[in-house]
Amino acid sequence: MTKKRKRQDDFQKVKLKVGKKKPKADNATDVNFRSKAIHLPEQLKQSNAGPTTHRQLNIKDLLSQLHHYNSNVKQGALVGLRELLSGHPTLVEQHTSAILSEVAALFTDKDGTVRAAAVRLLRFVSQCIPVERVAPFFPLLSAHLTCAMTHISESIQEDALRVLDVLLEHFPGLLSQRHNILLANFFELISQRRMGKKGGTGQDKPSKGRFVLSFNTNRSVTAQQWRLTVLLRLSRFLQAVVEERPLEEGMTNRNALEMWAGEKSSTTPIEVKWEEHAFGKGRIQMFEHSGATPTPHSTYRLRPDSNLAVGMNKDLNSAETVQGFAGTLVPLLLEIWVEAAGGERVQTDSGHLLSPESMALMFQILTILQLLRRLTPQGDQQDILDAWFRNTYLADFKHHFMKNFPYGLLEVARHKKKVDGKRFHQQAVVATVAGGNVEPLALNVTLCQVMVTLSLKGCSDGVGQDADWLGPIRDFIKETLSSGSKLSSKHLAALLEVVWRMIVTQRSRVVTDELLQAVYVQYQQRNLGVTVRTLLLSFFSQLYIEEHQNHPHIARSKILACWLASLPVQLVQLGSRNPQLSAHLLETVQSAAARGNKDLLNILQKRACSLYDPQDGCVVVLPVESQKKLVQILYFLPVIPPELLSCLSQVCNAGRVSASLATTLMRTIHLRSPLSGWSSGSQDVPVKDVDYLSFFFTTLTGFSSETLEALQHTDEDCLLPSSTLSPLSVLATTLEQFLHHWDVVEEVCHCLETLGSRAQCFDVIQTAIIKNLCGLAVVPDCLCTAVLRCIPLLLDINFLPSDTLLHFLSDCCLTMLNLLLQLEQSTRKRDRVWEACFTALSAVPRLLRLVLQSFRVCDLCEEELPLLAQILSLLLQHAQLRNHMMANASLLQHIIQDLTHFYSGETREQWLTDLLYCYSVTLSGPRANMGMREMY
Amino acid sequence: MSAPMEVVLSADSAGQLWNCAVFDPHAGTNLLSYRGGNTSARSLTVLNGEYILGAQLGKNFINVWEIQRKDQLQQKVVCPGIVTCLCASPNGLYVLAGIAEAIYLWEVSTGNLLAILSRHYQDLSCMCFTDDSSHFVTGGKDNLALVWNLSSVVQLDSPHTPEPRHILSLHSLPITDIHCGLMGPQARVATASLDQTVKVWEISSGQMLLSVLFDVGIMSVTFDPCEYFLFCGGSDGNIFQVSLCTTSLSRDKTFQKDNDGNQVFKGHRNLVTCLSVSMDGTLLLSGSNDETVRMWDVQSKQCIRSITHKGPVTNAAIIPAPANMFVPDSRPSIPLPRFSRHLNPSEQGDAGGVCVRPGANTQDLEGTYLEKADELYSLMCAITDKSVFGDGENTKVRVSELEEEVRTLKKINKDLYEFSTQLLTKPN
Repeated sequence: MTKKRKRQDDFQKVKLKVGKKKPKADNATDVNFRSKAIHLPEQLKQSNAGPTTHRQLNIKDLLSQLHHYNSNVKQGALVGLRELLSGHPTLVEQHTSAILSEVAALFTDKDGTVRAAAVRLLRFVSQCIPVERVAPFFPLLSAHLTCAMTHISESIQEDALRVLDVLLEHFPGLLSQRHNILLANFFELISQRRMGKKGGTGQDKPSKGRFVLSFNTNRSVTAQQWRLTVLLRLSRFLQAVVEERPLEEGMTNRNALEMWAGEKSSTTPIEVKWEEHAFGKGRIQMFEHSGATPTPHSTYRLRPDSNLAVGMNKDLNSAETVQGFAGTLVPLLLEIWVEAAGGERVQTDSGHLLSPESMALMFQILTILQLLRRLTPQGDQQDILDAWFRNTYLADFKHHFMKNFPYGLLEVARHKKKVDGKRFHQQAVVATVAGGNVEPLALNVTLCQVMVTLSLKGCSDGVGQDADWLGPIRDFIKETLSSGSKLSSKHLAALLEVVWRMIVTQRSRVVTDELLQAVYVQYQQRNLGVTVRTLLLSFFSQLYIEEHQNHPHIARSKILACWLASLPVQLVQLGSRNPQLSAHLLETVQSAAARGNKDLLNILQKRACSLYDPQDGCVVVLPVESQKKLVQILYFLPVIPPELLSCLSQVCNAGRVSASLATTLMRTIHLRSPLSGWSSGSQDVPVKDVDYLSFFFTTLTGFSSETLEALQHTDEDCLLPSSTLSPLSVLATTLEQFLHHWDVVEEVCHCLETLGSRAQCFDVIQTAIIKNLCGLAVVPDCLCTAVLRCIPLLLDINFLPSDTLLHFLSDCCLTMLNLLLQLEQSTRKRDRVWEACFTALSAVPRLLRLVLQSFRVCDLCEEELPLLAQILSLLLQHAQLRNHMMANASLLQHIIQDLTHFYSGETREQWLTDLLYCYSVTLSGPRANMGMREMY
Repeated sequence: MSAPMEVVLSADSAGQLWNCAVFDPHAGTNLLSYRGGNTSARSLTVLNGEYILGAQLGKNFINVWEIQRKDQLQQKVVCPGIVTCLCASPNGLYVLAGIAEAIYLWEVSTGNLLAILSRHYQDLSCMCFTDDSSHFVTGGKDNLALVWNLSSVVQLDSPHTPEPRHILSLHSLPITDIHCGLMGPQARVATASLDQTVKVWEISSGQMLLSVLFDVGIMSVTFDPCEYFLFCGGSDGNIFQVSLCTTSLSRDKTFQKDNDGNQVFKGHRNLVTCLSVSMDGTLLLSGSNDETVRMWDVQSKQCIRSITHKGPVTNAAIIPAPANMFVPDSRPSIPLPRFSRHLNPSEQGDAGGVCVRPGANTQDLEGTYLEKADELYSLMCAITDKSVFGDGENTKVRVSELEEEVRTLKKINKDLYEFSTQLLTKPN
């Protein structure tokens, strides 16, 4: 019973009744609650293991989050990484490997925002890491890039191009080494390889492996826009390949100025340091240099090409490989253009007007074509490639591109924008991606560049087989250049390249003159920018210097001659305003002068006086290098007239050119004169003997006759007045001027010394001094020293100098000796003055006697006696003068007697003691002792 | 007295006593003198050791002497213009002359004018052959020096006008002198210029190896045979010796006097017009406008001897003494033909002769220099290893073999002789 009851207690039956609510079961779950996820964007604990983001995540956390399944987390991690790395750049270096591999893996992430964040992070990271540190990871990066580019999903493909942009921007060199994989990827992006019969658009005989354009309707942009973006990347990539070519090819670093300068390959020599081998024990490895028949260039290279690009089976250097590549690419490009142009033509019936979009497309196509040609660096290879292009594609190009040449921009009507506003918007986006709108001028110029490379070399005249398409190009160029509008330097460079090419290939004088005329019109414009001006200038000068000899039609061009003749005038007009431009001009003038261009030399002759003007001529205002060039040009002048010589003499002495340059100038004049005896056999006489001598005499004096004349009547403070001891009044020049003049005088003396007949030369100089200088009362000190310096050097033993000259010399000598005593402060000037006086006194006969005779002690006042005594002791102290002094011993004795006699001081002064001591030492002979005894 | 190995050949522009004279470099005695006219600068040359050619100063002809007949001109070669420089190829086959701005090339054996090269823009000042006559270098007053390949210049049927192989265009004033080192096409060449520099170039590549800047214009330049030193004659009469062995790495340097090789020879009072170094590199000869020729000892920089001339020295050179020079009875092995004045290839056809000129690739037959060096090396090793002599047994066998061969050859020769005499003497 109890058991039963109990069991009933345990299992009470719940009675359910109709109409009543069902009671809730005891074990029913109450679902009346809300759950919320616990989100841990940041850690609570402050970890001390390295720096963290503001969410307290360190780099390990972030990197591990990149593997998270949730795309939001991944994106957050990428953003966090960017924040962390920008705050702590050192982390980038520590974790380069991890960061790059993880980020690269996200290139193919299926979520668009993650990819965008990954690209942003990549852009940031690549700014921080130098190229050489990325290089080891680059295979990985490029593998992921390739993966993304060939991904089945279109959006991933599009983003892959962004990655490519980043890499191109920062690591063009590394990227261009992997061109064999990447180029194929580009094809995949816009086309598909046809296998067997699976033809996409249904052509009749699809050859295996041929690419045809693919068409995908799923993309967010039109096929044409897509292709444009791809082509843009392709052209950038090719640009990188061309520019990042290994330096050994020697063609990479030529700048825009040299772009047309011919297709010469140059070699880079290697430097061998012998110190390294001098103590080495092993036998030096010898390499065959050139054999019995040397090659034209020493082509020895340190490393062969094949080792350079490791892992590249096909190198884009030879014409064959480029041909193979171009064979695939060019038909695709043509197809793209045909499609785009076909679509255009529906809208407009005038074929030469293009919408901005197709214009950009065409521009990219042409850029790629141009780059293809530049892929081969060697000149001969390039010729092969040009010929191949001509044979294969000339007809196509002519048909598709040249038919509507000069292209213009189609004005898009306003209402169209409303009709398909969305499309237009996308179009604008694409256009901005494509680097802004392409100007029609840029397009046309690029087209010219591409087409001109196809023209046949050595085509005899304009009516060759290419005339039908070269004609419009020529007209276009002429029109553009001579329209008077200002062109940017980039367009101008391209145009000039086309002109150069046309001139060289079409050996027709008419064509050359027409084109050069157009360029010359451009050149003659005023207010051109410096770069543009330099560009035009270097175009002409290169044309003249390099291509002149090989092409008689260029040599005979009147425009070129006209341009050359205008150079000296331009130089004069330019003055000191733009030294670089002047240097450029001078270079051309020099080479033309060296080649003996008659027109130029005539103009130069006419303008010489203003070029070499001592006040504001080019020779004094330009920098040293240009001054040197100007002096060198002087050599080539057919005649150097007296006026020019007087200018030059002033230039030498003005001190605005350095002493060494003045020396060079004088030597040039010297060599040009028949008196120097070098240029024998030439009929013409560039410098007349009279002019030559007067030039050197003027340079010797350092002052023109007018200046000297004016000097006589000035009463400036700087003049040292004349006295009994110094018969001439002296103008003290600055130390700088004095030293400069001294150097000049040295050279003058040397030149005059080497003239044929010394006696005659001395006679001329003597007459000149007597005529021009002897009457002067005021003389500059440098003039005095110059005369004293030059006379002993030029003196001939058989020729006795005239009395007038000797008196003048003795005056000079006395004045200088007097000056010497006052020149305590500057030893350099003092040394030179003394040297001049001393050599003159010792070398010129009778000069010392005259000097001694002019010491008239009786006329001196009390203060001057010490001065005289100092001069005398100076002369006596010098050992080399001793013999001369001995010869004049009686005179000397007389003077000293007078001196002691007239000196009325009570105490014997120091100077007198010195003098008497010197005298006794010098004349230490019995006679001298006698004299001494008499004196006391 | 035995004839000297080397002689000094010099000429001055006065020509009072003689046109050019031969001196003993060691004794300084005048050995021979050639009379008639005077010679202009850089235009005295010895052709094949048998003739002396010198261009008349200011006139349009070249004086030619047979080297043993000093008193008589062999002929006068009349040229289209005044000859400014003259050079004969070391192998004696060609003569080059610079007339105004054109280079004239004659073939000695026929006297034909082979080429007129006008690539210079102004008058030529000097020219020089490489020692193997394969190339020549010309310098002009247009600042250019051109390197020419002789075989490409003399090509008969080439449609193009000959082009120089290299254009050396780094000088900025006229070139005054050129000197070619040894080693044929691999030689180095030095050019001196009024722009106060001397530049050393490589002929094979045309690249500049060294440029030395002085404070005066340089009028003459030469190497010693080993190319240890470069000697440069300045326009102020100094001769500068530049050491080429210094280990400075820069290509441009300024001359500075120092103790290791860069020195100055002082003595001349006027510009040094010509320089020459003897075969052993110990003697330096210099001629100057101060009318002296000086002989210097290179080692001690002293002037050993001074030979006074009557006018500015135009040419002075140390040359190996030609064999015929001191043998008055000798005759030149080939007579010198008349040099033609016009470029006329059709004339050759009339003579019916066949013109054979060395092709561009005749030199291919010789081995490369590396092969030659190896050969030489193995030969030198062979001597030390005694493998040439071998042991006695082998030598005997070898000698007997060779004797046998000689006998066979003699027999063949005899048979051939008999056969041909029979053929010739047979009455027909």
